[in-house]
Amino acid sequence: MTERLAKIKDHLTAEFSGNVHQTRPDDIVVVSAHRSAIAKGFKGSFKELNTDYLLLQFLKEFFDELPSEISDHKELIGEVTCGNVLNFGAGATEHRSACLAAGIPYTTPFVAVNRQCSSGLTAVNDIANKIKVGQIDIGLALGVESMSKNYAKLNPLGSISEEMKIDPRAKKCMIPMGFTNENVAHMFSITRDEQDEFAANSYQKAEYASSHGLFEDEILPITLQDGTKILKDEGPRKNVTAQNLSALKPAFIKDKGTTTAGNSSQISDGVAGVLLARRSTADNLNLPIIGRYVAFQAVGVPPEIMGVGPAYAIPRVLKDVSLSVKDIDIFEINEAFAAQALYCINKLGIDVKKVNPRGGAIALGHPLGCTGARQVATILRELKSGQVGVVSMCIGTGMGAAAVFIKE
Amino acid sequence: MLAYHMSGYSGYGVQYSPYFDNRLAVVSGSNFGLVGNGKLFVLDIDMHGKIHESNSFLTQDCLFDVAWNELHENQVLVAQGDGTLRLFDTKLKQYPIAIFKEHQKEVFSCNWNLLSKQTFVSSSWDGTVKIWSPTRQQSLVTFLPHTLENTKNVDITTNVPLSNQKQHEGISRNKNCIYQAQFSPHDPNLVMCCSGNSYTTLFDLRQPAHTGNQQSFLAHSGLEVLTCDFNKYRPYTVATGGVDNTIRMWDLRMVGPNSSPAICVNEISGGHELAVRKVSWSPHHSNVLLSTSYDMTCCVWQDLSADGVKNTGRTNSIDPKQGCRFRFAQHTEFVYGADWSLWGQPGFIASTGWDGNVFIWNGLSLK
Repeated sequence: MTERLAKIKDHLTAEFSGNVHQTRPDDIVVVSAHRSAIAKGFKGSFKELNTDYLLLQFLKEFFDELPSEISDHKELIGEVTCGNVLNFGAGATEHRSACLAAGIPYTTPFVAVNRQCSSGLTAVNDIANKIKVGQIDIGLALGVESMSKNYAKLNPLGSISEEMKIDPRAKKCMIPMGFTNENVAHMFSITRDEQDEFAANSYQKAEYASSHGLFEDEILPITLQDGTKILKDEGPRKNVTAQNLSALKPAFIKDKGTTTAGNSSQISDGVAGVLLARRSTADNLNLPIIGRYVAFQAVGVPPEIMGVGPAYAIPRVLKDVSLSVKDIDIFEINEAFAAQALYCINKLGIDVKKVNPRGGAIALGHPLGCTGARQVATILRELKSGQVGVVSMCIGTGMGAAAVFIKE
Repeated sequence: MLAYHMSGYSGYGVQYSPYFDNRLAVVSGSNFGLVGNGKLFVLDIDMHGKIHESNSFLTQDCLFDVAWNELHENQVLVAQGDGTLRLFDTKLKQYPIAIFKEHQKEVFSCNWNLLSKQTFVSSSWDGTVKIWSPTRQQSLVTFLPHTLENTKNVDITTNVPLSNQKQHEGISRNKNCIYQAQFSPHDPNLVMCCSGNSYTTLFDLRQPAHTGNQQSFLAHSGLEVLTCDFNKYRPYTVATGGVDNTIRMWDLRMVGPNSSPAICVNEISGGHELAVRKVSWSPHHSNVLLSTSYDMTCCVWQDLSADGVKNTGRTNSIDPKQGCRFRFAQHTEFVYGADWSLWGQPGFIASTGWDGNVFIWNGLSLK
């Protein structure tokens, strides 16, 4: 009786039947996911490079890594979506041209997306959705950012109308990110010590991963104009401890602030890409399958505490796939700031050992539009076959995004 | 509208006799078919439009489907919850004349071969489809349709505590349950079935019964497929209905090599608010089909994607102008079974459901 009743209940609720491990021909799979090394902003190896150059160098290497079924038939790529935050118009023109220079035929369309820090992940979602509804069979999601070239030019308040500046809701979008993080730290009583501890931990993990070659598989070399190849992340540093971070002065609120350069994400340059396909297409072309895209959700949160985004986006996306936080093996939660990352981890009751096991943006850097795609490349190397991972980040102006991936 | 109420029983299936224009067989279960007896009703419609019971058979477990013997006017087959199929003679009382016991779990559907008339097909919760001859106790062949790779049964007790009894703790969801199996009305060797794993599978009886010979396609994007039916006029057209509340129509010629996602030729989404329980193509029109649903309604649809001769490329919606010919809303509970009358003026339909009512109505007379 119970079984019959359970069946009828299933028919009525029509829930996702809770089995993300089931493979289907219409799955959206990750064929390849890579990133460049992440270079320090303003003084790093990429400081002279435009994003289109970065993208071109990356794509050349990216295609070299792919089997000839796709690298010799780039026309099979049905769409390219590129996330970017700081370029004029999110780089719609120069990044399309970089794709053409990399040998993608002009017949493959291109779209630039900008959802702030989630742009790279939003690009992945955009491609996945297009595959899901049958618009395309194979698509390339990219994220690229040169904060060196464009961050200083950015003045978010430059073209804001008076009406927005006086509207109590609208003006919250203009709060600088550091101050939103001070709000989070203050509202939820996250101490400077906790933040520094978390940041130091990020440095230690990243330094370990970098020096032990854990990033070798995901990083593709970027060839500079002089021929030098850049293969190593520039963010991680040796011997960073909570103690030496505690000596730094607050960056935003001079006396009482807790956000410092040491417990915030670094300004960086980088590029990452994820090639997605429908499983049936990948199988027909004999393409490798490294993982599976399962779901994505973006949510809105109050702009003045935008850092809480993952705390709302993660449960939302997990609900869609009938999973709970404890079912997830690894979380890649972008460390925009230690306080907001800590808040999200604590609020969701995540085991901190599962979060960013190879370090996060505090140590590695946060090239805004690249980050989401970078995290996908990273998490698919951290997960073991069959494990489930979540990629998430907070988003300026008050949002959060999260996506679920399974390693195959 | 004509009506009959089966007191204490919930209807699961109904079929018009292929021999008598005023005779129906209805199968039902007590306690909503969840536990307890089942009952087969043989109903006759008299000259005054009254429906009365001409015979009935009580069974040990609930009955889920019914099929008249195409070769014998008095024989009717039922699919029972205890894994058996039983053949009854309507001239006799009380006992079946044959019992076919092989399925391990509930038998959810049975269907008589309309062309060869010598065989019938059954499908079960145990994940198998079996072909039988009424003259043999053992099945002729057993098919195991496309099963899920990596099937991981989900423990429902962590989800909803439906029972606190110990023997129910191990209950798991079996997504390979086969809800319906049907013979093609065009080819006596072709069988189609649909299952909880969202696949619809086709078998040819002339081929050995291993999975390599099957043609499967994902029909309802991962959600359970509860029903399927062959179009009676267009040999390649089939319809499926499922837990995603949609009805989809497929051209079997467009179902590619195994497992690649097929593109449906027409989809009626939003037509029902809850899962679609049964679809049945009209015996009189190539582009009319009937659906029943947990949303307590039956609908008659005109498939706009084909005008009977060629494809039009049009799609359906719930708008009457866009294909929804009739919505029957007299049932007060889930509607499970429905069948088109082969007799008289086209459009008469018998339907039954959890409310215990059998209604006869015309789905094509209005509008």
